[in-house]
Amino acid sequence: MARAVWKGPFVDGYLLKKAEKSRASGRNEIIKIWARRSTVLPQFVGLTFGVYNGHKFLPVLVTENMVGHKFGEFSPTRTFAGHTATGGGDKSAERK
Amino acid sequence: MAADASERRILVGAVAGAHGVRGEVKIKSFTEQVRDVAAYGPVEDESGTRRFAIKIRGEAKGLVIASLDGVADRNAAEALKGLRLYVPRAALGKKPKRAPKGTDRWFVADLVGLAAVDTQGAALGTVKNVANYGAGDILEVTTPTGDTQLFAFTKRTVPEVDIANGRVVIDPPVEVEAKEDGSDE
Repeated sequence: MARAVWKGPFVDGYLLKKAEKSRASGRNEIIKIWARRSTVLPQFVGLTFGVYNGHKFLPVLVTENMVGHKFGEFSPTRTFAGHTATGGGDKSAERK
Repeated sequence: MAADASERRILVGAVAGAHGVRGEVKIKSFTEQVRDVAAYGPVEDESGTRRFAIKIRGEAKGLVIASLDGVADRNAAEALKGLRLYVPRAALGKKPKRAPKGTDRWFVADLVGLAAVDTQGAALGTVKNVANYGAGDILEVTTPTGDTQLFAFTKRTVPEVDIANGRVVIDPPVEVEAKEDGSDE
């Protein structure tokens, strides 16, 4: 059953405070969080979070199209090594 | 980097098996677009002794159906099962061809193996892999002690990528913790 609309998106309150503080500091910060259940809000866009996956903190640079998703969606807890050799093919990486 | 760019080879696919009776093969493509396995000219085997021109006939279940030069019947096609297909690094070009203008894009194959240094020039380790879990690319750097550090591939964190000199400059971000009790750091 979907969450009631009148409640609004769920987010851990302390994340909002921390995000505000981080934005105000202007430093190149990574905010380490365990709150995988929290929804990504528009206020978080542009900030980098380190989302814990039970093993390490994966860097998550929040962009507009991630709003509405949960932080945990971007930090998988299970490893799939893949069938390709590391760095195989013509795969490319984009610097944002 | 492990080897000079001119002599390095990139794995673009592998023969998964034979298809039909006319010598066609099924190829598992490792390229971003599956059909690009044939986009970089003739492919070579692991030793570099055999070369094949690929002609794509179609796609099926994520595999490319193709005919290879000099493979005319099913027996010859079956004999190639498991063959890994390589192209010279130079065939890929300098930058990814599908990169939109104005974007900073590099081949993952070029980034892997680069030395990672901080803004003062001190060694941080070696780029081991570039991962993407849906929130942008992440550089996995293996430190001299064997640990793995993860850095978001952003202009702020990775201000300089110098493929020619085999290094990336990383400005490690300040780590702050957001705890449930509201305490800082």
